[in-house]
Amino acid sequence: MITDMTLGQFFPGKSVIHRLDPRTKLILTIVFIVATFLASNPVTFLLLTVCTVALVMASGISLGTILKGIKPIIFILIFTAILNVFLTGGVGEPLVAFWIIKIYKEGIIRAVFMALRILILIVGTSTLLTYTTSPIALTDGIESLLSPLKKIKVPVHTFAMMMTIALRFIPTLVEETEKIMNAQKSRGADFSSGGLIKKAKALIPILIPLFVSAFKRADELATAMECRCYRGDKNRTKLVKLSYKGRDALWFVLSALFIGGVIVLGFVAGYMPEELASTNLFRIMFYPI
Amino acid sequence: MNKIEIQNVSYTYSKGTPFQMVALNDVSVAFEKGKITGLIGHTGSGKSTLVHMLNGLYRPTSGRILLDGQDIWEKPKEISKIRYRVGLVMQYPEYQLFDDTVRLDIGFGPRNQGLSEQEVEERVKEAAEFVGIDDEMLEKSPFELSGGQKRRVAIAGIIAMRPEVLVLDEPAAGLDPRGRREILGGLVRYVERNDATVILVSHSMEDMALYCDNVVVMSHSQVYRSGTVREIFSDADVLADIGLDVPAVAKIASALRHEGIELEGELYTVEGVKRAIIEYIGRSGK
Amino acid sequence: MEDIIIKTVGLGFTYDDGEGETNPFDGKREIPALSDVNLEIRAGEYVAVLGHNGSGKSTFAKLLNMILTPTVGKIYIDGIDITDEGFTEDDVFAVRRKVGMVFQNPDNQLVATVVEEDVAFGPENLGLEREEIRRRVDEALAVAGMTEYSSHAPHKLSGGQKQRVAIAGIIAMKPRVIIFDESTAMLDPRGRQEVLDIMERLNKEEGITVLNITHYMDEAARADRVVVINDGRVELDGAPKEVFREVERLHEMGLEAPQGKELLHALECEGIAIDSEALHEEECIAALVKYLKRI
Repeated sequence: MITDMTLGQFFPGKSVIHRLDPRTKLILTIVFIVATFLASNPVTFLLLTVCTVALVMASGISLGTILKGIKPIIFILIFTAILNVFLTGGVGEPLVAFWIIKIYKEGIIRAVFMALRILILIVGTSTLLTYTTSPIALTDGIESLLSPLKKIKVPVHTFAMMMTIALRFIPTLVEETEKIMNAQKSRGADFSSGGLIKKAKALIPILIPLFVSAFKRADELATAMECRCYRGDKNRTKLVKLSYKGRDALWFVLSALFIGGVIVLGFVAGYMPEELASTNLFRIMFYPI
Repeated sequence: MNKIEIQNVSYTYSKGTPFQMVALNDVSVAFEKGKITGLIGHTGSGKSTLVHMLNGLYRPTSGRILLDGQDIWEKPKEISKIRYRVGLVMQYPEYQLFDDTVRLDIGFGPRNQGLSEQEVEERVKEAAEFVGIDDEMLEKSPFELSGGQKRRVAIAGIIAMRPEVLVLDEPAAGLDPRGRREILGGLVRYVERNDATVILVSHSMEDMALYCDNVVVMSHSQVYRSGTVREIFSDADVLADIGLDVPAVAKIASALRHEGIELEGELYTVEGVKRAIIEYIGRSGK
Repeated sequence: MEDIIIKTVGLGFTYDDGEGETNPFDGKREIPALSDVNLEIRAGEYVAVLGHNGSGKSTFAKLLNMILTPTVGKIYIDGIDITDEGFTEDDVFAVRRKVGMVFQNPDNQLVATVVEEDVAFGPENLGLEREEIRRRVDEALAVAGMTEYSSHAPHKLSGGQKQRVAIAGIIAMKPRVIIFDESTAMLDPRGRQEVLDIMERLNKEEGITVLNITHYMDEAARADRVVVINDGRVELDGAPKEVFREVERLHEMGLEAPQGKELLHALECEGIAIDSEALHEEECIAALVKYLKRI
């Protein structure tokens, strides 16, 4: 069921991450994403992994929740890994050679790290952003970060309001879809059998009532909003005003160190003294992926 | 004779997830053929789950549902046939309307049943008559109608499948007294004409008292009481224990009896209490 | 002189055929929804507007809040003519600030994904200071008894709770009048009771004028004054005791009286006249006991 999904959900809490300004978290998330794509050798991946684990621990989100969130992407992980295993060429003898399939050592290493990259990306961004930031704070953050665009007449507030309302009504509409499907099933509608065209046709009795009701809801909501004196962002104040605090500054410094670390560790290998660079440990740690 | 029997049925939502919730806990209850049985209970007492289950929309986690002695889940692939035999009118059913005309919409169910066009036409006519929809309205788009009319069209859409059992979840919700009477009165006619069995979910104890033969009371995922209307409504305290009311007039009758005024009869409708009072006055020799 | 907060003079409204809104139930848009309504509602009154589905009672509510504009007649809110041609947008919002409205479907009036953010929506639109918004939100949630749910998501609440959030959202704007437009119609008995309790509290403790648009007789019986609208006209207007005395006329309009009253009326038709004043359950019981013990 759609409502059981943990990925993308918000888990209220009071951790350091929860209390960060949403704008800080948005910027940190972008930094984090860039860092994951810059990571190019085991040492940088190690740094990424350590930082991700630290983030998860700081957020107070349980391991079970994190694992549950990973569940829906397992297929993508496996798929990426397999693709990399088969499609990566290599030097030297393949480990397995069968018909047109050749598997190289490089392919396996690449597959592992590609999967790790996606995993870190998902766990890191969801911990930083969706798990620990209420949708409304997120919307406020985006609105605030984009507010300079208001000067060139981009309707930032309108977009933010639309996003809030969408977030508010998604669960309602999901519930409604289920209700309508049940109602039509009771009248003998069949959604599972038949060819593509028949299946598409079977959706009509669901889609029409769903649209009718969504428009009715939109109409009523608009009236209700007007009755509560809504007139866009004209003369509008906010209950929650975003303000950067000391801890936000601290996190900006940390993230600068972090991305700096990733970049340095990525390029530093070529400049190491010969005796260090020739050790086995070094070769493994700085193996280019 | 029992038309539907529920035997030790349990149902748990989202089993095995943190959202797990028991909706029905070892429920056993029977619904008599040719009778209107009321189903009452608070929101969340499990009555809505039970109603969906009768229609084969949810499958019991354990236990059996027997329709004419036959387990409805014996052949899961043929559950849609059960849905034609046990019609379900959901809460605010007007949202299920979708077709171009009222006529087509009412015919949606019968057409899914695989009936001939001629047969469908007959069914539509019959169902329309039951709920008081005239020929002119049949050609209109369902979206042009008023809320009360839409409600009637939606109910006709179920009746047109000519179900042996008709389950209705709050069919009169949001309607004024006249609208309620029209819809609930139509049910009584349906039962009489087709010897059908009706299960009626409602929060209105007054409606229950007026239209039902039997009442099943649900509380905390279980059946709390079941019996005839007279049995259930004769003791206001039993229902008050789980926070439910009896009809206001039954409360009045019960208070009078507490005062030592011996009323007898059907003490749960205005008409019944009136008769009891007149009879009491007669007995007291005035 | 008593403070008259709402006054209508010869008020009438006709829906345009075609694009006109139908009333939620059994609405007939070809006939005028309202005609020649003359009402005066004093500040602090608790008025029930009673009528069957499509009687025009909801149209009346929408006119007071400027969702609809009257076809003929005048409406004065707090002495100001809101049908004035020269009304600016600012004036409209000034009226809406005074007259709050709670609608029927609790789902379709909540905007935000967190309860307290939703309650803050109105005050935010008024451009109040942050501290003032915070104070009003907390106060309004307390009055609606929803404080403990302040950080919940609205879609996870029960119907009655959602409606209480909607009410808190209106209270936070500090209106002088709150109109409940069939706000209990979609609720279960428990939710209805909760909403009715708040209505009474708002009226008695906060001094807010309450208009409850409803077709439930027992709700109307709880108000201080009942206005019965039928086919767009005011048919009856008075204290509940006076209005519900007219059982026959209510029946003609497709309405009923509370069951106790119906019982007394049925007995009266049989020649047993007991007490025409009794209305509430306890009064009916007392009257019946008194009468029946005497024989």
